[in-house]
Amino acid sequence: MTQAIARSWPERVLPALSVIGFLVAWQLFVDIRQIPSIYLPSPIAIAKTLVTMTEDGTLVSNLSMTLLRIFAGFLIAAVGGIIVGLLMGMSRLFERVADPWIAALYPLPKISLIPLLVIWLGTGESYKIIISAITAFFPIAMSTYAGVRQVDPGLIKAARDLGASRSQVQLHVVLPASIPSIFSGLQLGMGVAIILVVAAEMIGSSGQGGMGYLLINAGQVLDTESVFASLVVLTLMGACIIKCQQWLERKLAPWAAI
Amino acid sequence: MNIYAQDVSKTYMARGGSTFIALENFTHCFKSGQFTCILGPSGCGKSTMAQIVGGIEPADGGTVRIESSDGTPSGMKLGSASVMVWQNQNLFPWRTILENVTFGPEMAGMSRAEREEKASRLINSVGLRGFEKHYPTQLSGGMRQRAALARALMMDRPILLMDEPFGALDAQTKIVMQEELLRIFEETRKTVIFVTHSIDEAILLGDEVIVMTARPGRIKEVIPIDLPRPRSFDLVNTQEFGRLFDKAFHLIRDEVTKAMAEMNQVSHS
Repeated sequence: MTQAIARSWPERVLPALSVIGFLVAWQLFVDIRQIPSIYLPSPIAIAKTLVTMTEDGTLVSNLSMTLLRIFAGFLIAAVGGIIVGLLMGMSRLFERVADPWIAALYPLPKISLIPLLVIWLGTGESYKIIISAITAFFPIAMSTYAGVRQVDPGLIKAARDLGASRSQVQLHVVLPASIPSIFSGLQLGMGVAIILVVAAEMIGSSGQGGMGYLLINAGQVLDTESVFASLVVLTLMGACIIKCQQWLERKLAPWAAI
Repeated sequence: MNIYAQDVSKTYMARGGSTFIALENFTHCFKSGQFTCILGPSGCGKSTMAQIVGGIEPADGGTVRIESSDGTPSGMKLGSASVMVWQNQNLFPWRTILENVTFGPEMAGMSRAEREEKASRLINSVGLRGFEKHYPTQLSGGMRQRAALARALMMDRPILLMDEPFGALDAQTKIVMQEELLRIFEETRKTVIFVTHSIDEAILLGDEVIVMTARPGRIKEVIPIDLPRPRSFDLVNTQEFGRLFDKAFHLIRDEVTKAMAEMNQVSHS
């Protein structure tokens, strides 16, 4: 059961205060030392840029492009990774066949596949989605596999003793017992899917937009305010996605969070 | 249902290829409707014996047969006649108490309404009314063991195997659970095989107590417990209980010393 632990006031106030203090110090530093905004824009200037980007629609269109790509890549990775992970955990034959492939491809930095994918697929949507799907696939598959392998053998014995058939054990014991591992794999997968989509957008062609494109474009014309504004948006986007995911997990598997 | 075990043996392979004999030539007839306790030091193979009767572990040698009370073969296979209550309960953490208790019938295809009605009766009888929607981690050890007992009783099997079910409970909870089990035994009159390392638990609960030797696990002596039923914990203050305790204690003291000496050897080698 989650219990509300009474927090003392420094515990509640200090985290927010540290952020505000940092921003104030930053603002003062830029103002007093008169740093050119091309090197370090002030928080207020960044906020103004954010407002402009929101008003003229660039933020919404680019952010939604990025989000769509992230979810498309993540979805492919989640379905593929969970299926492969479950098969590896439940079938010795499949495990043996998959082992050399996983051993070879898991440690490979997936970002190094970008040149190859660009040659094959161009710099369009499919390349961005595929690169993030490939990257997110591995942590999801590996966590699922580990989850299946680590199921408490006592639970399997108990289920068999209660009359469950082998296939019922897989469906009603092994699968639910692996859910916490599958969820942690999905969180890792989401993290890398975000990274790879933004990286791919930086390399992609100019016509397709996205937060990565916005960022690299602003950097190239030394529009540092927009660079910072994009970084703020990316940070908030990542935090929101991860928080939503955690919330969803608590809803779907309340017993795992207890 | 009598359970007739003849020359049952089990050898385990330890790490490094050496073997140790957990159980050797275990021969005993567990009589129908009787409560039999298997008492012994750790590592004497008493849990192994219960698992073999339950069809959970295969034996390496010997046979276990389930016979009708008149001694004719029942034709029942090991495992389908019995159900195990485990020391650590082995409740499914993702299922509520109600869903845990109904697991067996659900697998067997009983309708939801039917199995839930039956489960709620059993949940009441083990004193868990109101906790149907709780998850196992939200309950205390004693309550989890009640749920595990209800889940086992739900199976309607003639033989109840209990592998140190109260071993991890605190002293007070243990007494309450022992009295509950005595009451449930009176009501159901199942054939019970109860594994324990606690002498007073074995005497309080059992109609007979099988005292085991340390490795290799053999039957040292079978003590009949002629204490009247229904029983309660007050029994432990009677003279007869004290006499039986002394008898069992002297039988088991040597075995515990032997087991401890062996443990020391293992840890020093």
